[in-house]
Amino acid sequence: MSEGVYAAAAGMAAQQSQMDAIGNDIANVSTPGYHSERIGFEDLVYTAEQNGAPAGAGAATVDLGRTSAEGSLEQTGDPLSVAIDGPGYLQVRQADGSIALTRDGQLAVDASGALVTQSGQRLVPPITLPKGADPSDLKIGADGAVTAGGKSIGKITLVDVTNAGGLLSAGDNLFTPTAASGAPAPAKDSTLEQGSIETSNVDLGTAMVDMITAQRGYQLASEAIKDQDQLLQIANQLVK
Amino acid sequence: MLTEQVRQDQLANDLANASTPGYKPDQSTQASFGDLLLQNSASGQDIGSLDLGVDIARTSPNLAEGAIDQTGEPLDVAIQGPGFFTVQTNDGTRYTRDGQFAVNAKGELTDSIGDPVLDAQGKTISIAGHTTDLKIGPDGAITAGGKTLGTIGLVSLTNPAKQGDNLFTGTPGKAPAGTTLEQGAIEGSGTNPASVMVDLITSMRSYESMQKVVNSMDETLQQGIQSGGAL
Repeated sequence: MSEGVYAAAAGMAAQQSQMDAIGNDIANVSTPGYHSERIGFEDLVYTAEQNGAPAGAGAATVDLGRTSAEGSLEQTGDPLSVAIDGPGYLQVRQADGSIALTRDGQLAVDASGALVTQSGQRLVPPITLPKGADPSDLKIGADGAVTAGGKSIGKITLVDVTNAGGLLSAGDNLFTPTAASGAPAPAKDSTLEQGSIETSNVDLGTAMVDMITAQRGYQLASEAIKDQDQLLQIANQLVK
Repeated sequence: MLTEQVRQDQLANDLANASTPGYKPDQSTQASFGDLLLQNSASGQDIGSLDLGVDIARTSPNLAEGAIDQTGEPLDVAIQGPGFFTVQTNDGTRYTRDGQFAVNAKGELTDSIGDPVLDAQGKTISIAGHTTDLKIGPDGAITAGGKTLGTIGLVSLTNPAKQGDNLFTGTPGKAPAGTTLEQGAIEGSGTNPASVMVDLITSMRSYESMQKVVNSMDETLQQGIQSGGAL
């Protein structure tokens, strides 16, 4: 009796998490290297009610990682910004020593001369500018080779994982590899472009349409709850 | 009333799954219970039959195709026409129309919850190292850079039954003729919000009228008892 109330409530919760994901996407419409979230829906278990008639327990969302479409490349003219053309990530080391991946190529130089991300993580393998070198003399080749004033100082390594959907979002545009994603391995066929950044791949138009769809889905599920409530009210009137 | 309650629960589930890809709404048929033959207990003479109401005879998913939504994701695949994908779950082979695929750590093509998708021979399909350059043809052939990596298998299904996680059980048959796949799209939910809302209201009103029947039966019995006591 009234499993429908819970099925509808589960449907509302699923639409709510879809809404949260879209909200996060819209908030990151200007975040370099950001890829929108890929959310899937699935139905839940079916239990036999009267005469074996199955009644479902509603819906839930599944996290499918991020969308794969690349954002457009934007010229910045900053020698320290690199855009990744093709799949793959820059590899950086977090404060706790673990490896993290990012597609945000807005690099900077820290106090010791090492190339770091906006939030201060060093590249892996580390690339350090020689003392007195001017960051504006830095040249980064399509293959990642870095030269300062004509002298080679290292190579930016691009890596990729088997299942990008298994990466864990760590904030600060960083992702950490997990058992589900597989270990990072050198990326094939991807190149770097100096002086550009990859813009967010969030398309506001699509996000708005998805938001309206989620809102209507939420509304529909709430109608089902209202209806179930009315049903119980009718049943209650059996005893006067 | 119990039958309508089940119907309401199913409709609520349909609405909850208004965004679930490849979801198929439930269709229930009602049948009347067997009639009872009333007999005069003293003489044994037949009086007539008594109807015991209705019950849900069977429920089956309505397999009408949902609308195709373009997503542009290389791992989204929509089935155009009848048929199901086959996936390998921990409980054995299951079938789905949800084409929101992903890859697992081994590089195998999986469904949205990580069950490997099978080809026509029942083998898993490895697409390791390819994501953005993946092409999936109308016949299910997966190619990357001109190399064929595998072919997504399709089967027809008799007696399909939903079991959650967008999966179906049933008896598989040959691949349905004329069915094609479309990459970068998913099949939307089969729930039609307008018709479900109408069904909800209709079902609720018949629930209400059943309640009126029960109440008037109650009154009749009450009157019977009272007049019986007055004698």
